[in-house]
Amino acid sequence: MFATYLIGLREGLEATLVVSILVAFLVKSQRRDRLPQVWAGVGLAVALSVVFGSLIQYTSTSLLRTSESREFFEAVTSVAAVVFVTWMIFWMRRAARSIAGELRGKLTEALAVGSLAVAGMAFLAVVREGLETALIFYAAAESVAGGTGAGSLLALIGGIATAVVIGFLLYRSALKINLSRFFTWTGALLILVAAGILKYGIHDFQEAGVLPGLNNQAFDISATLDPNAWYGALLAGMFNITAAPTVLELIAWVAYAVPVLVLFLRKPAAPAKPSAAPAATPTAPAPPAATAPAAAPPAESTATTPEPAPAAVDAAAVPSPRA
Amino acid sequence: MRTTRFVAPAAAGLLAVAGLTGCGGGDDADAPAGGPIAVKATDSACEVGSTEIDAGQVTFKVTNNGSKVNEFYVYAAGDRVMGEVENIAPGLSRELRVELPAGTYETACKPGMSGRGIRGALKVSGTAASVAPDAALAEATASYQRYVRSQTAALLTKTEEFVAAVKGNDVAKAKALYPVARTYWERIEPVAESFGDLDPKIDGREEVVEEGMEFTGFHRIEKDLWTTGDISKDGPIADRLLVDVKAIVAKADAEKLTPLQLANGAKALLDEVASGKITGEEERYSHTDLWDFNANLEGSKAAVAALRPALEQRAPDLVKQLDAEFANVEAALGKHRAGDGWKLHTQLSKTELKVLSDSINALAEPVSKIAAAVAR
Repeated sequence: MFATYLIGLREGLEATLVVSILVAFLVKSQRRDRLPQVWAGVGLAVALSVVFGSLIQYTSTSLLRTSESREFFEAVTSVAAVVFVTWMIFWMRRAARSIAGELRGKLTEALAVGSLAVAGMAFLAVVREGLETALIFYAAAESVAGGTGAGSLLALIGGIATAVVIGFLLYRSALKINLSRFFTWTGALLILVAAGILKYGIHDFQEAGVLPGLNNQAFDISATLDPNAWYGALLAGMFNITAAPTVLELIAWVAYAVPVLVLFLRKPAAPAKPSAAPAATPTAPAPPAATAPAAAPPAESTATTPEPAPAAVDAAAVPSPRA
Repeated sequence: MRTTRFVAPAAAGLLAVAGLTGCGGGDDADAPAGGPIAVKATDSACEVGSTEIDAGQVTFKVTNNGSKVNEFYVYAAGDRVMGEVENIAPGLSRELRVELPAGTYETACKPGMSGRGIRGALKVSGTAASVAPDAALAEATASYQRYVRSQTAALLTKTEEFVAAVKGNDVAKAKALYPVARTYWERIEPVAESFGDLDPKIDGREEVVEEGMEFTGFHRIEKDLWTTGDISKDGPIADRLLVDVKAIVAKADAEKLTPLQLANGAKALLDEVASGKITGEEERYSHTDLWDFNANLEGSKAAVAALRPALEQRAPDLVKQLDAEFANVEAALGKHRAGDGWKLHTQLSKTELKVLSDSINALAEPVSKIAAAVAR
């Protein structure tokens, strides 16, 4: 049962992480009006997964029925998701700089993205693993119908529910921290997520035979990082960190994560107003190593309100890496 | 809530992605006959229902009876993934559908989602589609078709004579014609067997009654000829035999066998010999099993001869081996000639039957390699 629970948790985390950050960002930057689009994107992805899953399971459709076509589908949607999430990271960064430069007027401009982009991002985050999750669901439902008890179905739902709860907690703690710190943390978190999605996509392309080197493993630490343990499932679910990546996956991960992190954390150009408040306390950049950052970062000593007034915004929008 | 404005494009986007995945021409890829191949996976074992299958769309139904999450893979040479299904939770079954051309593969269950998995060999033999069309193989099909037509013509003629003798109550003539008419039947038996229940109607032994069928055809008349000698009531049976033979002749003449079916047919004829003729089971009343034996052998040889030009190109060593083994069986069988025909099964000693059986088995070995050589 626990094994089944972890499958639900792992499959669910990938999507909830991106969606909860997206929602937190929209709420913090006072764009609640965009939320319906997020939920529409999520809903559409869930609906499509459910419909497609049932077609595959119960009819003789040939669309996406073979494993290689699904592999390819996941690989393509993964790469699309990486593009979207990367774009989201820098979109958030731009918004953060507008706030930092006290160019509040420009904030709305920076946030003026099409509703399609927001919906598309939420949609891609969910649909990537949605089809696979739907198929697992149908398999579990069939075993219930076969009279083996509802254990596995409940365990699966429990796992997904846990993922949603973790996403919600992340959202709640994201709301608590001040805006600039929020951008730094969530941005770094998203970079790790996107790097993981890219690595996953590369692996799928290797399995689909589009890219070579599937058996060329960089290392194998399955002895220490057991994919059947809860921490293994968490790491795999959030950042696609696996115990035995291929060399190509590792290269893709590093080639993405390093330059994007550098770009993201570099000092912004001098703000338009030289009278901008000096940097107060640069927050340390998120460590590139995966130290499960799902936990809420330490709360500020100053009492923070869920919605900080613009005056309380920390001037140091984007931290500089420690010299 | 102006959701429609972007839901539609998003859906269109997904369909575009789905379109990218190329849905195999969009045709209905139904599971092959016999349904999916069952795979029983546990934490320490991986039981694949059948490890020798036909090429094409293959469906595996993987059931995880273990306590760890399992994965199932089909690997081609060099561990190239042909297909995989992950996240098979304990107690669940999931399906893997994969397109497999002829070749050798490995299946693997991965309990605990790590490591190389529990491997097993999987042999996929080609279908006509995966055999490269070449002139020699096309000629094989055409030349065997000519052979079949020559045999069906003789089968029809001799059956007509046999039926006339039965209806004329000429026991001696019917007895003489019986093994002769059957010779043409036995030569092309694998072709005939592909036409459903016509085969048991014509060639069924008494056991067909147990399957709810009426006992008709050659063996029903054989029984009456050799046990009671009374064929006065067999007119309708003889008439039906002729109708059935005519039907099968029409079908066999139209049938174009693929090179692979030829190869399998050559092997099937030898299996017939081993299971039905050596044992004396087929002609239990007349004991004319050696006629059938010889006919099966000739039919097998004809199929191999049709494939010969193609085999010369592909597997010259195999051709030499086939020639030697065919000669060996013919020599062993040749010892039991009796006039124009053959000794009765009952006249052969256990030792003599053993020699025949061994020679057939020795021949079956290279014949079973023909399919692979053709599919190359």
